[in-house]
Amino acid sequence: MKIKRILIANRGEIAVRIMKTARLMKIETVAVKTVVEPNAMYLASADVIYDNTENTAEIPVFLDIEKLIAIALETKANAIHPGYGFLAENAYFAQKCIDNKIIFIGPSPDAIYKMGNKTIARRIALAHRIPMAMGSEGNIANEEEAVITAEKIGYPVIIKAASGGGGRGMRIVRKSEDMEKMFIIASKEAEKAFNDPSVFIEKYIENPKHIEFQILGDTKGNVIHLGERECSIQRKHQKLLEEAPSVALDKRLRKKMGDMAVEIAKAVDYYSAGTVEFLLDSDKNFYFMEMNTRIQVEHPVTEIVTGIDLIEQQIRIANGEELKYKQEDIKLSGWAIECRINAEDVQAGFAPDPGKIVNLSMPTDPCVRVDTGVQVGSSIVASYDSMIAKLIVKGKDRREALKNCKMALDKVWIKGTKTTLPFFRMLVRHQKFQDGDFTTAFIEKDLEKYYYNSEYEEMLAAWLATKLFVEENLDDSNTKIDYKHGKEMSPWLLNKRMNQF
Amino acid sequence: MTNDKLQIKKLYALSSENRKFSFSLPLKQTIRIGKRNYEVKLKADEKFGAYILWKNRKYPVEIVHSRQNKYEILFNDISYTFTVETPFSLQRMKVLKSRKGGAEKAYVKAPMPGKIIDVMAREGSNVLRGEAVVILEAMKMQNEIVSPANGTIIKVSCRPNTNVMKDDLLVEIKL
Repeated sequence: MKIKRILIANRGEIAVRIMKTARLMKIETVAVKTVVEPNAMYLASADVIYDNTENTAEIPVFLDIEKLIAIALETKANAIHPGYGFLAENAYFAQKCIDNKIIFIGPSPDAIYKMGNKTIARRIALAHRIPMAMGSEGNIANEEEAVITAEKIGYPVIIKAASGGGGRGMRIVRKSEDMEKMFIIASKEAEKAFNDPSVFIEKYIENPKHIEFQILGDTKGNVIHLGERECSIQRKHQKLLEEAPSVALDKRLRKKMGDMAVEIAKAVDYYSAGTVEFLLDSDKNFYFMEMNTRIQVEHPVTEIVTGIDLIEQQIRIANGEELKYKQEDIKLSGWAIECRINAEDVQAGFAPDPGKIVNLSMPTDPCVRVDTGVQVGSSIVASYDSMIAKLIVKGKDRREALKNCKMALDKVWIKGTKTTLPFFRMLVRHQKFQDGDFTTAFIEKDLEKYYYNSEYEEMLAAWLATKLFVEENLDDSNTKIDYKHGKEMSPWLLNKRMNQF
Repeated sequence: MTNDKLQIKKLYALSSENRKFSFSLPLKQTIRIGKRNYEVKLKADEKFGAYILWKNRKYPVEIVHSRQNKYEILFNDISYTFTVETPFSLQRMKVLKSRKGGAEKAYVKAPMPGKIIDVMAREGSNVLRGEAVVILEAMKMQNEIVSPANGTIIKVSCRPNTNVMKDDLLVEIKL
């Protein structure tokens, strides 16, 4: 193995996840300690900790290319894993690693660049006859061209930023009289958000499913796919729950879409792990959306149904090894569901709810895998994402996976912040979700309520409020403090104690 | 004061959706459902913190806020807000309400002209006072328009990506 020591240019659960595999492969790891999270859990998994707490630069170190290269050189790490987010899809960073003789665990800078630019990616897809939502061939120059192009495609259309992602800079236009105005807004927005005003237009597909294919390619030109992930449960383009496989695909469609995904990856000589995203409409027509040139948050569901460690594959490919799997070796077995447990207030429109985790207990059943970078005492800080843990549950089929998921959700115990748990508890009980009958519009259109509570929960909460009122106002005798295991106590005192954390 | 306290035989917890839960005093550690009494216990330990034990299951509880007789409680990760009233204060509330002529609705209006960016309010869902119901873009700023009261949203009269004038009705709330 050429790779001896990996600098993890990331934090949180993905840093923990990468280090776990590195350890199994007997490769050392370097983690960066930051002033924002000096006691973070991921630091405990590293062989070497680089102390960057003195650095008070405005940008997070995980976005600071020069600094990360310097850290790698100083700590003698001969490879860098970028994780997801931050610099994972930054072609310049990948090139900088190569220039400094550091192995970048990811695809080539060229592939990152081509797939990162939506206009170039579209052109490549078009050249390879990958089905796409009809759209402009390249960027749109001005309002007049926008109106003409949209007329040709047919409304509704969507304006997208060429350099965009994550739903930002997108505008849906339903009638031609709005086109001019929306084009100008979208272009301005794109310039503000991505420093690039170029936009293009596509046919807008109403209520599709979001289906993505996991790709693995090596540096010898072999590319395979590891089946699909169903990611339609999303809110404002933020995925909340993913599963593998998808109820919407049969063997034939899986092969057809998988072949297309492999073809588009081959078109950019892709190596490492990557994801090709498609929209699937109700008539089972699919359209290429984009390719993500990184490991994804939802990669565990694919690992469970294929039995392949994707981080290990990334490392082996970066090491120059040939893929040991052929397409026919890939067998999907069972069903996996991932719930993203975030520190968000479901009852307040999923608003982030940062805070310190005071109690944390996760199910330990064999059907459950928990990927987390958070432990008791950890803070969910506003400067990073709101993820607490990924709860990944498997079953022999979807029905069993759902049953296990419901059980596991009831066992998760997190105190200190509000979480997305009530959302998932509702979701797994929802008839349409159980039937697999949902699209990307599910959360906005099919849900009357974003959370689940059983019949008596509100009454029990009312009892507690009443008890508190009695203790505060009517009870003359001082409530005894008895803070031993399982003893009754006044929640007031507990609350005060909690606030001291 | 002590005499007043002794006279209180009942307490009412009123939810933000105006559901009423009544409890006799002294407060029992049981709740009656149908013909059976079920034990309810508030406990705490190092691992789980405070929890309520009900029908052999532990439910996490946290107190989010409390002010006077108003409590926001997180029960099994869901937030509930109650005001706890005595029979006297409840009677007083009723009298006050009837005098006001039953102002049972609250209206959220656009405080300034602008464009609706996002509508969080959903018909039939519950809102808390201070909870954002609409995001209005005006003066290049995104402004959260919040609910003036606790209640249930009965009408949403605006849509994202539309322009509104000052004082246009956005959301109607039943108190």
